[in-house]
Amino acid sequence: MDSADTTYLSGIHEIRVDENSPLFEKTNMLFKEFPSDYRQIRYFTLLIVQSAPLEIKEINLLEQQISEIIKNAVKHGNKCVPEKKVRVWYEFDASHAHLIVQDEGEGFKDLETWNEFNRRRLEKLAAQDFEGLADYVSFRTESSDDNDGGNALFAALEYWNGGFVYNTRRNAVAMLKKYPQRHLGVTLEDRTG
Amino acid sequence: MELKIRKTGTNYIIDVNGEMDLYNSYKLKELVMKMLEKKVERFIINLENVDYIDSSGIGALIYICSTIKKQGYKLVITNIHGSVKKVIELTKLMGYFPIMNSIEEAILRMEE
Repeated sequence: MDSADTTYLSGIHEIRVDENSPLFEKTNMLFKEFPSDYRQIRYFTLLIVQSAPLEIKEINLLEQQISEIIKNAVKHGNKCVPEKKVRVWYEFDASHAHLIVQDEGEGFKDLETWNEFNRRRLEKLAAQDFEGLADYVSFRTESSDDNDGGNALFAALEYWNGGFVYNTRRNAVAMLKKYPQRHLGVTLEDRTG
Repeated sequence: MELKIRKTGTNYIIDVNGEMDLYNSYKLKELVMKMLEKKVERFIINLENVDYIDSSGIGALIYICSTIKKQGYKLVITNIHGSVKKVIELTKLMGYFPIMNSIEEAILRMEE
C-alpha cells in the first residue's frame, strides 16, 4: 500500500434492508430455482452465468461473486436442506449484472452485527493498522464452520457497486453490478433510482 | 486442485494448481498444518497457476497466514494475478497478506 487510503470510509459501506428498492423489481428477469445441494453450488452458478454476454470481462469474478451469494442461500439460509429451494432472478447485459437470490431460511439475523464488524474493519484499514485488522478479517457467527471464510460479504459490498440490499425478512438479497461503458458520450440511466 | 511441494534452501515452496474454491481450499490448510508439525518454518505459497479463488480460499489463506505469524515463522504468497488478485483487492487484504511478485523476490524477502 502506497499511502493512507481514505476511500475505505467514503460512500455507503453498509448492507441495507430495503424491500422497496428498485433492485427488487423482477420484470423481464430470467428465473431459475435450485435444490439446496451444497455439492452443486458452482454448477448452479454456471447455469446462470452462461447467459452473461461476452462483453462482460472478468467473467471468473462475476461467477465467483454470484457463487458466494448462492452458497450463502444454500448453506446459511436453507441449511443445506435439499427440499428447500434457492430462487434466482437474473439479468445481464454489457452494462450491468442484476440478480435477486432468495432462500427459504430465517433470514440474515446478524446483519446489524455484520455492519458493525465491517465498520470496524474499515476503520482499521483506513488507519493502515494491519495488526488490528487481524481481528476483523473473518466474520464468525455461532453457525460458522471451518469452511466458512467469513469474508464473502466484504467483497460483495465492494463488487456490487449498484447496490446490495436485503428484503424485510432478510431471506432475499438484490444486487447490481454496473460495468463501465467505453466509447459512449451519453450518461447512462441510473438503475438504482 | 493439486498441491506440489518443492524445497530451495530452507524455503518450502507450495505450488497450487487449479481452483481454490469451497470444495477444496481446506486441502491447502491441512497441508500447511502438517508441514508445521514437521517443523517447516519458511513457506512460499505460489499461486501462479490459480485462476479462481472464492471466500473459502481467502479464508484458508487468512488461517494459514495468521497461524504461521503466531508461531513466528515466515510466509510469502507469490504470483497472484487476474481474478485472484481482484478478489484479494475487493476483500482489502493486499496489505494484510505478505505478497511478492515472484518466487525469486519471495526468497530474497525470506533472507531479510
